[in-house]
Amino acid sequence: MTARDEILGRVRAGVGKEDFAARRAAAEAYMAARRRGPQPVIGGELATRFRAKAESLSSTVEAVAEAGEVPAAVARHLQQHGLPSSGVVTSDVAAFDWASSGLQLSPRPAVDSDLLGISGCFCAVAETGTLMLLSGPETPASVSLLPETHIALVEVSRIVATMEDAFALLRSERGSLPRAVNFISGPSRTGDIEQTIVLGAHGPCRVHLILIGA
Amino acid sequence: MRAAEHSQAMHFQARAGEKVRNPVLQRALQKAKPLFVGKRAKGIAALAEDGLAFEPLRAACEEIRNRVLADLDVWLAIFEERAKATGAEVLWARDGDEICDLVIDVARRHGVTKAAKSKSMLSEEAHLNEALAAAGIRPVETDLGEYIVQLAGETPSHIIAPAVHKTIDEVEALFAQEHGRPPEPRTSADIPAMTREARQVLRQHFLSAEMGITGANFLIAETGTASLVTNEGNGRMVTTLPKVHVVITGIEKIVPTLEDFATLMRLLPRSATGQTISNYVSLLTGTKRPGEYDGPEKTVFILVDNGRAALLGSAYQDMLRCIRCGACMNHCPVYFSLGGHAYGWVYPGPMGSVLTPLYTGIENALDLPHASTGCNQCGSVCPVRIPLPKLMHRLREEQVERGLRPWSESFGLKAWAWLAGKPKLYRWFARRASRYLNWLADDSGRIRVFGLAPGWTAGRDLAAPQGKTFHELYAARKRA
Repeated sequence: MTARDEILGRVRAGVGKEDFAARRAAAEAYMAARRRGPQPVIGGELATRFRAKAESLSSTVEAVAEAGEVPAAVARHLQQHGLPSSGVVTSDVAAFDWASSGLQLSPRPAVDSDLLGISGCFCAVAETGTLMLLSGPETPASVSLLPETHIALVEVSRIVATMEDAFALLRSERGSLPRAVNFISGPSRTGDIEQTIVLGAHGPCRVHLILIGA
Repeated sequence: MRAAEHSQAMHFQARAGEKVRNPVLQRALQKAKPLFVGKRAKGIAALAEDGLAFEPLRAACEEIRNRVLADLDVWLAIFEERAKATGAEVLWARDGDEICDLVIDVARRHGVTKAAKSKSMLSEEAHLNEALAAAGIRPVETDLGEYIVQLAGETPSHIIAPAVHKTIDEVEALFAQEHGRPPEPRTSADIPAMTREARQVLRQHFLSAEMGITGANFLIAETGTASLVTNEGNGRMVTTLPKVHVVITGIEKIVPTLEDFATLMRLLPRSATGQTISNYVSLLTGTKRPGEYDGPEKTVFILVDNGRAALLGSAYQDMLRCIRCGACMNHCPVYFSLGGHAYGWVYPGPMGSVLTPLYTGIENALDLPHASTGCNQCGSVCPVRIPLPKLMHRLREEQVERGLRPWSESFGLKAWAWLAGKPKLYRWFARRASRYLNWLADDSGRIRVFGLAPGWTAGRDLAAPQGKTFHELYAARKRA
């Protein structure tokens, strides 16, 4: 007997029920209902909440009124913090006029030596101050992972209240899941040496968010 | 290789004594405990800001996990079908040996010489690192805590903080040796620099490994997805850069929908570290898509039994709800007196005291169900309401039923039962015993050394009875 058959046999014996087809139909119905658990009450403006939560998770946030201001805001931030002005950008936000603000960005996946990665996001979650990024040909996951500095552009209209709302948006706009959905909440961190929190474990050491349309 | 062969759980008492007397370990544990407890309490209290409360949320989490276990055969079928439809391969392992064989086979098929690992407790159940090394494949642990433990040639002592037992000086010695530099005196101010050093070393492993090995916090049936919850980003690294990704996970880890996953995510990080959300929550579905640059070309799920199926429909089924948050050990007075290694197998603390006997044999872990003060702190913080003390109690009963207790204990209990069934004799005996103990006591009413059972007074005095027995007092009061 194969391992699969033997394990499933044990599971069936443990479950101790017949009528597989009826139970399977019930499971399908349960999934289709997309029932939500207890939902948080997110009061006030979603953008305000998102910003406060993101900052509490050690991201820095700047709000700009419109998309045209983004390259200058990014350049200013990098200069203020003495950070390199060249790196990689995901294709979905490559069309900004980065060069006019003195930024040299290549629309490609990141490699080890890239120090700056700029990405958009699919949407953002106000409840936890979290970015939701989808992997794809236009949006390689490495851009938000390998460089020490990750800058993400967040349109205020794309901030939803909860993770459930983000999933609903994903289903309605994309239908199915990409290879990787990455929820990102601030710079990478570890507490593995004497429970002391250090930012910049394996992923970015700093995450800066530009809120567009605030 | 049966799990029992690797278990040291039968040496619990000897190891416990050793751990209690280890000042370095005790310092590390005493430093960690208030942090774990305080952070969780803060994280749970913060639920109220959003009009949420712990009890309804944990009831919802419990219900999700029960729903899956009640029809696990159905949910496994759905998950397998949908994972395959995304292009992933789904394999099954009866035990740790089969996990090792399957991983090595996948590695050989894809010319893998190095595997970068994100934390996986199931790979500890299988002793996968040893098997990989023996097969000529280098396993590199990339979670910082796991990396430290691997350098030390040890096993994790905590399921979410594997190196909680290590002090900064011990970590510095390991890093100096592995990274080929002289050791330096270190204080907590140097921890960022030490973390950076490990980051640089491990970055090269992420880039060169051909295989990434992870566990999965949950498998999502609806989409055939593995979810990974990490803070360091190593989980993302090993699932983005290597060309092969192997997910090793227990058959019980399924949740039905993305909504259910979102519900569980409100309690998992809060219970573990007090965080409202972990830094990286990744949902991994299938392989690299057409036109994509990164991501694995090959994704393999290894669904593992290793004792889990046998718990379905048993008195211990509740244990399968476990989401591996670590809250039970973080709140356990026994765990924080001994650390995780005393428990002798993969899982420490209260969840380990239940799982180790169940997965390695009740007769191979006789002390663990007794390693409890019965305080139920574990049960009260568990985000999926596992009645841990009740399960430990049931395991103790089973030891008695199967005649696994020492003869002195069974004889003592039988003698007491016989005596308790004869009220007159019992009262006579209790009177004599009470007078005897009172006579043994010193001027302050305490017994310093109790000769009949000296162990009881080794670490503390025994307060002696002050005169009459309960029955005598009761009778006197009734007369008055």
